[in-house]
Amino acid sequence: MAHFPHRETDLQLMERIGWHQVKAVENRAMKRNFWKAFAFMSPAIVLVCGLLLMPVVYNIYFSFTKWKKFSGLDEFAGFSNYARLPGNPYFDAAFYNTAIWVAASIVFPLAIGFGLAVFLRGVAFGNVFKNIIFLPRILAPTAVAVIWFHVYAPHGVLNSLLALVMGQPVDIGWLYQDNTVTPAIIATFVWQSVGLVMVLVLLGLSAIPKDPLEAARVDGATNAQAFWHIILPLLMPTLVVVTILSVLSGFTTFDLLWVMGVGYPGQRTLSLAVYMYFESFQKGSWAFGSAIAVIIGIVVFSVTWIQTVMQSRVDRMTR
Amino acid sequence: MALATHQIDFAAIEAKERAATKKKWPSVIVALLISLIWVVPFYYMAVSVFKTHAEYTANNPLSIPEGMSPIVDNAISAWNTAKMGAGFANSALYGLVGAGFAVFFAAMAAYGLTRISFKRQNFWFMLIFAGTIFPFQIYLIPLFFAYQKVGIINTHFGMLLFYTAVCIPFPVLVLRNYLNGLSREMDEAARMDGASEFRVFWSIILPNCIGPMTATFLLQFTWIWNDLLFSTVLGNREEVRSIMNSLQIFHGSYTTAGPNLSLTAALIASLPAIVLFLLLRRHFMEGMRVTGV
Repeated sequence: MAHFPHRETDLQLMERIGWHQVKAVENRAMKRNFWKAFAFMSPAIVLVCGLLLMPVVYNIYFSFTKWKKFSGLDEFAGFSNYARLPGNPYFDAAFYNTAIWVAASIVFPLAIGFGLAVFLRGVAFGNVFKNIIFLPRILAPTAVAVIWFHVYAPHGVLNSLLALVMGQPVDIGWLYQDNTVTPAIIATFVWQSVGLVMVLVLLGLSAIPKDPLEAARVDGATNAQAFWHIILPLLMPTLVVVTILSVLSGFTTFDLLWVMGVGYPGQRTLSLAVYMYFESFQKGSWAFGSAIAVIIGIVVFSVTWIQTVMQSRVDRMTR
Repeated sequence: MALATHQIDFAAIEAKERAATKKKWPSVIVALLISLIWVVPFYYMAVSVFKTHAEYTANNPLSIPEGMSPIVDNAISAWNTAKMGAGFANSALYGLVGAGFAVFFAAMAAYGLTRISFKRQNFWFMLIFAGTIFPFQIYLIPLFFAYQKVGIINTHFGMLLFYTAVCIPFPVLVLRNYLNGLSREMDEAARMDGASEFRVFWSIILPNCIGPMTATFLLQFTWIWNDLLFSTVLGNREEVRSIMNSLQIFHGSYTTAGPNLSLTAALIASLPAIVLFLLLRRHFMEGMRVTGV
């Protein structure tokens, strides 16, 4: 029978084999490694912290202060900037317009991009059409806005085409009327952004494995059944990403509204992004402007958060 | 062994094929009609730059130009009155230097994050990556004030500083993922042979990152070239004005400038992006695939 004269505790064992020294040496190496790695990361960290993260902190701070012309932004004002937002007619208009933009950028780019992707997959010369539809994506929004500004002009392309169809001269100022200006600019937004949605959906479609589809066919599934029960669930991750991307870009659109709304006197082109620029850089209400920027930040954060939640849910579903 | 040709019904196959192609033609026509929506604005820009102001107002906007020569005058007056020349040079400087530095710094950071093991790597990565989650509007006011205080508002240096910073986080994400998938054998061997960390980074990692670095450089260059918001706020003086800002200001005077000039300016401003895209489409698509931007 074996005899154990003395059983070591874990602590004693560690001591005997010099674990503490090993750990200390390792810690020292880790610390040295950190400074080595930091040397490589420092330009990126300094620039990102100094020019991006610090401004965010300052912007939040500004939004709680009151703008004093000579002493700077130093008087604490609590939530008064935020309290002034609802009920302000410009803010209400901007909020309403932005809501329309968000709704439109959920529906149209996805529906049209998805439709085009599915349709062009089976068409001869599909690649040519895909490239044509993608092309506007690489243009600057400013340049796109300038082109479409003249397309919508009273003596522009759209009116001349309508005149051709109707058989009489048409003279609509699409960008000067309250009821046409928003749809017109949204159409331009969709025109530019739909190519990317289409390309991403096509990538998602081509990544779908063939086996489950064939198995379904063998089991006698119709095309519609295969689409609803196999293609659509497998495409869900792509669709979530695409939707969030277009919502975020629709929500923060500035260039299109700013450039295309240049001759329009009303408030329909006032989105939150444009309003924030207008309040701060044209009217000089800096503290108020930074409060609007914080609101925009909160919305963007919530949308991104929804994306992560939905993505993890979709991942769990498809796994 | 001879093929039993008599068993194959060639007529049926031919008929089937003919039916298939026949069925395709209507959809090609539909596709053509749909793509007109994308072609017409480009066509419109292309014909308008060949028209004089008088010709533009007298004819249908889609009419074929009477001659090619007006484009020279249009380009010269857009280049001079809209200051497209200066804007072109400024934006080229911002795009090339800003995106170049940003991608290089991002590669350095990605090297530190993946090839040297230290504690809380994830924290430092998230700190850099946090630069992508805020809307641009939240940077504007503090940057405007800070730039005024330091005295770098309306300077080339100030513009480059911001563009470099804002273009760093995204390439860090891409290059970090790429380096995580890249084999460590080579750099471990070099380290065994006594190479310094910088030497490993410079001679082994960088040459292996050319592909993703080109892709992210192109994306960031296009972003800087296309930016209007920050160049309006931080660099609105004439000498530092970016091309999109020049275009926007020129467009604001559309009543005097005329659509033909305004469209010529728009064409000049978008030409580099179009040329880059056509030449390097593979890299763009690669970047697009990784990012979805």
